[in-house]
Amino acid sequence: MSRAVKGTILVAGQELTISNPDKLLWPEMGITKAVFLQRLAGLAPWLLKHCQDRLLTTIRFPDGVNGKSFYQKNCPTPAPDFVETEPQGGIDYVKLTSLPVLLWLGNLACLEYHASFDRVSDPAHPTEWVLDLDPSLEEEPRIMEAALLAGDLLRSLGIASTAKTSGATGVQIIVPVIRDLTFDELRRIGEFVGTYLSDKHPKLFTVERLKKHRGDLIYVDYLQHYQGKTIIAPYSPRARAAASVSTPLHWDEVRRDAAIADYHLLNIEKRLQREGDLLDRIPAQSLRPILSFIGKR
Amino acid sequence: MHTVWKGAISFGLVHVPVKMFSATEDKDISMKLIHRVCGSNVSYIRKCPTCEVEVEWDDIVKGYEYEKGRYVLFEKDELEQLSGEATKTINILDFVALEEIDPIYFQKTYYLSPDQAGGNAYNLLLEAMRQSGRIGIAKVSIRSKSSLAAIRIIDDCLAMETIFYPDEIRSVSQVPGLPDSVNVNEKELMMARMLIEQLSTPFEPAKYKDDYRDRLMDLIQHKIAGEDVSVAPEAQKTNVLDLMAALQASLEAVKLPPNAPGGLDTNAAGGAAPGDAAQPAADAAGGSEVVAKVKTSRPRKSKKEDTVS
Repeated sequence: MSRAVKGTILVAGQELTISNPDKLLWPEMGITKAVFLQRLAGLAPWLLKHCQDRLLTTIRFPDGVNGKSFYQKNCPTPAPDFVETEPQGGIDYVKLTSLPVLLWLGNLACLEYHASFDRVSDPAHPTEWVLDLDPSLEEEPRIMEAALLAGDLLRSLGIASTAKTSGATGVQIIVPVIRDLTFDELRRIGEFVGTYLSDKHPKLFTVERLKKHRGDLIYVDYLQHYQGKTIIAPYSPRARAAASVSTPLHWDEVRRDAAIADYHLLNIEKRLQREGDLLDRIPAQSLRPILSFIGKR
Repeated sequence: MHTVWKGAISFGLVHVPVKMFSATEDKDISMKLIHRVCGSNVSYIRKCPTCEVEVEWDDIVKGYEYEKGRYVLFEKDELEQLSGEATKTINILDFVALEEIDPIYFQKTYYLSPDQAGGNAYNLLLEAMRQSGRIGIAKVSIRSKSSLAAIRIIDDCLAMETIFYPDEIRSVSQVPGLPDSVNVNEKELMMARMLIEQLSTPFEPAKYKDDYRDRLMDLIQHKIAGEDVSVAPEAQKTNVLDLMAALQASLEAVKLPPNAPGGLDTNAAGGAAPGDAAQPAADAAGGSEVVAKVKTSRPRKSKKEDTVS
């Protein structure tokens, strides 16, 4: 057994113990825990923003992305004093509210950060509507084409949206909404849009729920959009070989067939400093007129 | 042929287990009812006008309306018990001559075949009825309804005709416009009788055909061949595609002048307050473009370094 390396850093006035800084978390990218924590600190303002007021689920990979992993909803113990939790349904969720909390989780090899769709402060009223385009293929060359079709369809309905890579294989279409519709109502729009896409482009999309019946089609997952369910947070790293980061894209990038793996831990910070958060560029909209239209039929 | 009923013929101490089959079939060409507008087969819905819900069979009972809007209710087994269906017997009461029954009484014919080990008793009844030349008058209950029936022989098979009860048959006296007295011209009567003589022939059922059905089937074949057919839309499909088109059209109608193309990023830039979401959203709609898969076109902005490390 090699000797465990430990050190203490001071982050925003909080002391934090870092263990095994040289452990390779993303061996293919040469990213050690030390590098990861540095990058995580760079991502912090954006990642924290999108985890704010939401229930956090992380996935821990103690031995790096190629090792075993487990989901973590409950706050691990012992937790430093600066970690606050949000008790909900028997689970003590970590409130990801500050850089020290994020780095503490990072040190525990929490590589992925999944946030609930619902807001802790107002769980019944989502602040965005999400269509998850989930390819059946591990490598789906048509994913950006699919995202563009979905985005253009929404645009034809007067809905402005942002495509965001999942960082893994899929793309999510995010529509910020004002809090006037429930999850159930938004899912009805999702069903309508999903069914339309799969009818209009039967060789590309499907709304088939059973994975084994999807073939090589891209699943339009509107059913994920529930209170209590989670989605990979914008700017969360993924436990993929490329150390990809879930990244909102310009539609131009989608048109150019951007590769999901091109947005990763080592370059994301620069992009964010230059572009800012693309999710901020679209105002919250009301989808009520669309819902009323569907409802009439 | 599939069994429509199982039970036994009973007369005196004789008990003949039998299965029942329909002896006739309706060859009418059945037509579905189609919604002229979209070509779908219309569906029937049992609907409760009060609750405004579609009613499942489980939630349905029979009720007798003894005065307007007031019913006494009956469960299925209650009626079965009453009709004697539970006993499953064709109870022969009398034997009569066939000629004594006017054809007006006959309803529907069923064949009976021996069931289980009933072959001997079946043959005994068959032979005895053949030799006596009589037919049995019986009571039977099928589907919660009690009927009168005639049991007779067709070739080597027992057959059952359900027959009407006398009070179910209307009297000729109720037919309007019948002449009071017979007063006909002798010559005309002769002519008519001659005509009847000429057309008289043994009954050969095979020579009569349902011409209407043949002509209709012909027309059906022609329509199919000529593709003059109406195809029901795959319900959901057209629905959602049409609905989307209608929705887009209705949005198109209120669309603002189109902006310069470029997509949502530029159009909807700036964090507008959540309250006035409708306007920017409509702006974004204005930039709608035809989608094409563009894989290698040159990036509009020369910010290439953002995608590489």
